[in-house]
Amino acid sequence: MYEEPYRWIEAVGNRRQYLDEQFAMGAPVVALAYADGIVMLTVSRGTPKLYEIYDRIALGGMGHPADLEKLRFSLLEMAHVEGFNRSPSDVTGARLMKYGLAPTIKQAFEEIYKAPFIAKILLAELGVKPERDLFLTINYDGNFEERRGWAALGATPAVQLEMGRYIDSQSGYAQASLAQAVEIGLCAWAVGSLAQTSSGTSDGESSSIRESAEKSEAEALPDTTALLAHVRQTVAEKSLECVVLERNGPGSSKYRALRADELGRLLPPAVRASDSH
Amino acid sequence: MGMQGDFFQLLKEQGYQFGNPAAAATGLDIPNATTILALKYRDGVLVAGDRRATAGNMVMYDRTDKVLEIDRHSVLAIAGVPATAYEMVRVLEHSFKYYRRTQLQELSFEGKLRAVSKLLKENVPAALAGTGAVVPVFAGYDHEQEAAKIYFYDILGAEFEAVEYAVSGSGSPTIRGILHYVNTWGPQPLAALPEEQATVQALRLLSSAAEFDSATGGVNRELNLYPVVKLITAAGVQTIPDTNLKQLYERDVVRAL
Repeated sequence: MYEEPYRWIEAVGNRRQYLDEQFAMGAPVVALAYADGIVMLTVSRGTPKLYEIYDRIALGGMGHPADLEKLRFSLLEMAHVEGFNRSPSDVTGARLMKYGLAPTIKQAFEEIYKAPFIAKILLAELGVKPERDLFLTINYDGNFEERRGWAALGATPAVQLEMGRYIDSQSGYAQASLAQAVEIGLCAWAVGSLAQTSSGTSDGESSSIRESAEKSEAEALPDTTALLAHVRQTVAEKSLECVVLERNGPGSSKYRALRADELGRLLPPAVRASDSH
Repeated sequence: MGMQGDFFQLLKEQGYQFGNPAAAATGLDIPNATTILALKYRDGVLVAGDRRATAGNMVMYDRTDKVLEIDRHSVLAIAGVPATAYEMVRVLEHSFKYYRRTQLQELSFEGKLRAVSKLLKENVPAALAGTGAVVPVFAGYDHEQEAAKIYFYDILGAEFEAVEYAVSGSGSPTIRGILHYVNTWGPQPLAALPEEQATVQALRLLSSAAEFDSATGGVNRELNLYPVVKLITAAGVQTIPDTNLKQLYERDVVRAL
């Protein structure tokens, strides 16, 4: 029945709706530049969502663990074969995204007889110089975006915009210390998490994105205290995950997952307080 | 297949071949010769190597780095044909990283040792043909056993654990005897030496090797050329900067006239 174009468009539309529902409860992911590199964080329920892909590339994901795993492996394979056959400097986030992830994800999304990937992926690439840092995100339909400074994954594009708006409001975040960057990241995470729970799955369609973005322009962002309180609540049940790409880190691999004790020291006091009880 | 985290297998599936035998043309001088050494000192393992690469009588290069870091906790010191040795290091480096990133855990120390032997075994035809013999020394920190260890190999890939020290390369017969003497009858065994004294010993040993082996480069003070000396401890691999080597060399290696 999908031979007719109309049916096909309808089927893709249904698929979009189905996928939007899958992400409605997912945990957002935030990545932002700071003084010594890039920090990426999320809150996960058991399965990790942040991974190392190559010497200077980290991955953050939202969605089904099995799908993320499959895509992660294909990226790892591509990156390492390329890094070995050419050189580590030839492994770039943009190429992994354009020739690795995007075609695979788009094809799976449009082949309506098969299951799509339930996955949204963020790649953060540490440049040799700060101005070369790059952030790439890809949606479940294969649509990808390149940004500087920060990137976020959320249930809907509107949520992502809202998270970015918070980061942009923190002027000079790119010169922040790691502790400050973690706080900004956590607050942006909370902005996304709160936006998802309050709006539910309402603005899944692209038509409403601009509208809601304009609308939110007028709205004030929640204050830091409220955001950190939300983080504290969430962290009590789930675990906070945080990784960094450090420009001056030792060796060729710049990726490092922060251990619980180190992260504990970096957390803002408002969140740390939850550890005591 | 990819799920096993075996990078070498992945390369082979892509048509990559390691250690292809090629008959050496007669009269062809293949670059090799070296002196490398690894010894256990008080805090871990010291690995050092001279910097000369030769082809027959020719000195090809005097700034070769033969002590190569594979990851933050292991080092491969190479003696033999550099082309094969560098390729080995590249394969190992990528294999360990690929394993860690896919499997989300560090490859075990035994696993790393196996990977080295496996590559040497793959290389046997080339080694026997005379174009690709490599005799490396592998040193690394074993986190499970909380000890730094040294392993040496023959060209067929057999692996031997060194209790106190290991040497390889054309200059090694000279210093093997010295190491035995110093370790047995010196003021203290090598394993008790602090970092600085171990470094001085390494500089003296490599200078001795250069004295008797034309294919080993010693210290060249005019060009400010010093051997490569690396230390492996629980904290990882650390390279001793040339300025420190210079200072130690001038103080404890050169005999005042």
